[in-house]
Amino acid sequence: MLKKKENNNAPAFTSSGLPIDRSLKVEKTQAAKRAEINRNLVAYSFIAPNFIGFAVFTLVPIVFAFALAFLNWNGNTEMTWAGLENFKYIFTNEMFLASLKNTFIYTIGTVPLTLVVSLFLSIILNQKIKGRNFFRTVSFFPYVGSLVAITAVWNMLFNPSMGPINEILMRLGVENPPRWIADNDWAMFTIILFSVWKYMGYYMVIYLAGLQGINSELYEAASIDGVNTWQKFWYVTLPQLKNTTFFILIMLTIQCFKVYDIVYMLAGAGSGALSEATTVLVYEIYNSAFRYWRLGVASAEALVLFAIVLVVTIVQFRLEKD
Amino acid sequence: MKKALSALLIVLLAMTSVFANGGAESTSSDGTTTLTWAVWDYATTPYYDALINAYEAKNPNVQVEVIDLGSADYQTALQIQLSGGGSEFDVVAVKDIPGYNNLVKAGLLADLTPLAEADGLDTSVYGGIVEQVSVDGKFYELPFRSDFWVVFYNKDLFDAAGVPYPDNDMTFEEYDALARQMTSGSGSSKVYGAHYHTWRSAIQLFGILDGKHKITDGGDYSYLKPYYEMALAQQADGIVQDYATLKTSNIHYSGVFYNESVAMENMGSWFIATLIAQTAAGANDAENWGIVKYPHAEGIEPGTTLGTITALAIPASTKQQAAAWDFVKFVCGEEGAEVLAGTGNFPALTNDAINDIIASTPGFPQDEQSKEALNVAQLYLEMPLHDKSAEIEVVLNEFHDQIMTGNIGVDEGLAEMGARVDEVLAN
Repeated sequence: MLKKKENNNAPAFTSSGLPIDRSLKVEKTQAAKRAEINRNLVAYSFIAPNFIGFAVFTLVPIVFAFALAFLNWNGNTEMTWAGLENFKYIFTNEMFLASLKNTFIYTIGTVPLTLVVSLFLSIILNQKIKGRNFFRTVSFFPYVGSLVAITAVWNMLFNPSMGPINEILMRLGVENPPRWIADNDWAMFTIILFSVWKYMGYYMVIYLAGLQGINSELYEAASIDGVNTWQKFWYVTLPQLKNTTFFILIMLTIQCFKVYDIVYMLAGAGSGALSEATTVLVYEIYNSAFRYWRLGVASAEALVLFAIVLVVTIVQFRLEKD
Repeated sequence: MKKALSALLIVLLAMTSVFANGGAESTSSDGTTTLTWAVWDYATTPYYDALINAYEAKNPNVQVEVIDLGSADYQTALQIQLSGGGSEFDVVAVKDIPGYNNLVKAGLLADLTPLAEADGLDTSVYGGIVEQVSVDGKFYELPFRSDFWVVFYNKDLFDAAGVPYPDNDMTFEEYDALARQMTSGSGSSKVYGAHYHTWRSAIQLFGILDGKHKITDGGDYSYLKPYYEMALAQQADGIVQDYATLKTSNIHYSGVFYNESVAMENMGSWFIATLIAQTAAGANDAENWGIVKYPHAEGIEPGTTLGTITALAIPASTKQQAAAWDFVKFVCGEEGAEVLAGTGNFPALTNDAINDIIASTPGFPQDEQSKEALNVAQLYLEMPLHDKSAEIEVVLNEFHDQIMTGNIGVDEGLAEMGARVDEVLAN
């Protein structure tokens, strides 16, 4: 109301000399603003359920974990300032360093192997072969099967003394077959083998989608140019799958750095303790947090994991751009 | 945008305050007090209900409600619930010593010492256990169950082999010889003379029974060497099942006894109630079983064995401490002990009368030896109370696993185990 009055006292004119009714314009802009606010509120209210959940269960804990890494806290008593003590502790802790090393070995072993195997599978199962759907289902099955159940089966298959795998190896003349998960030198290899087998089906499906998105004219043009199958794969298929491969690479790398369940179920069964040969980052984080209740140390370890995943992802993005 | 963010923060804060008002007194208008008790495996453990029914019959104005936190991560779940003082629990069962130590360190349990003193409670009836769980002269839990390790054996297998049963005074040498004597057959008819479950207690803790060492001390663990060597030799000779096989196949200790593939098995007394129940249900082929006292080193009194306790504690956050303490006293006291014994379980408070109740449980072996085996001379906790017990436990488990799978030699493994425990202690 007040604005209206002021505006009336100072009339303005358009270029054609007609006075502008400013009050009308102000009312219009206010109405528009109100409408905008309303629109925004409606939009926020749609986002809210998801965002509140995200904020309470993800955002706040993440920020909290950053702070905790520099504190001493057992979950109940008073927090005390630790500075860099937690980081100093973990980088002199033998088990944490072993877990760091093992996680890298696991990732470096699992990622390329899974990429190659799932690409190979998808190319084969993209052909018009008999029983294609059956084989697609079979390859996808490890991914959907319950981890507890399939690790139990694997542990039986790879049982060092009475497992069928070693039985077969011995029949084939291998005198001292590896003791797989029970042997420090073979344990990580066994875990990688399992992971590749488990993941291959899922990434095969993603590759299949990528393969089916390739324009068939490219292959026709290549055929007219007289290229052979290998060249088709190398110069058409592979470059066309670049985006898919990049997506899988990122997802798989992150997944591998976060590994815990597979290792725990395969190597920790029975005693629930992972040795220096099999321990991984997330297991150490779990131990620090929920076995020893040293939440500061656990947060520092989690920050290290976060930093690694961040750096690896940034490097991969850079490489992709180049 | 800023306003929206601050509004959001206010909403979040308001929500947390809504969720943070736990620990209320739950006395209803008709004067009934409701106690909430945190336990694990409620459905498969018969004594919870038996104890509650007995208590409620005696105290008609009290109701005890049970919340089952599951067995696998019980201590973790419990500690998370109690942290921040927002839990609804008035009484909690404590599963193990490392878990108890964590709760005490975090200040989550009420000090029971003044309550016990005010009531003139005699803690000596627990055979020194209360002293073993005291921190700076204060105790925060009272044991209600106390299990101890014995040797279970299959009488039919001994009869078939024409070998006399093991007895209540058996040295490790005699035990080893007997295990070797009882091993026979191959393939599906193979009988192993003895059996070690994959827990470290099953072998490692033979070494602490002489009372000279504490497993949490670190340093020189070479005193465990003879026992690891005995077990590894038995493993190599096919007297016991291979550790790596047991571990990777996740074989439960009960199955090998039920299907009569082991003649002797060292295990905790909790297995007695299970065996009785499974035999009655027809799931156990080794119907004719007995127990004898744990083997002992030369010069050590028979009946010296390992033990593990299950205890009750009162959260510091409860508003019903008096009512909770009354329940704790009942369960851990003589009345609770009789109820527990009636279900075939071992109460922490023990005497001849309680042992008689257990021995007269239908299904308990009828021979005198088995009854006599219930008398414990000296009990050492599987994991003594120590400020770093959770961390030490992980190291002990790891090296037990490494030694038994042959990834590391006995000498080297024990030396490394000592060094690693020292590292934990120094931190």
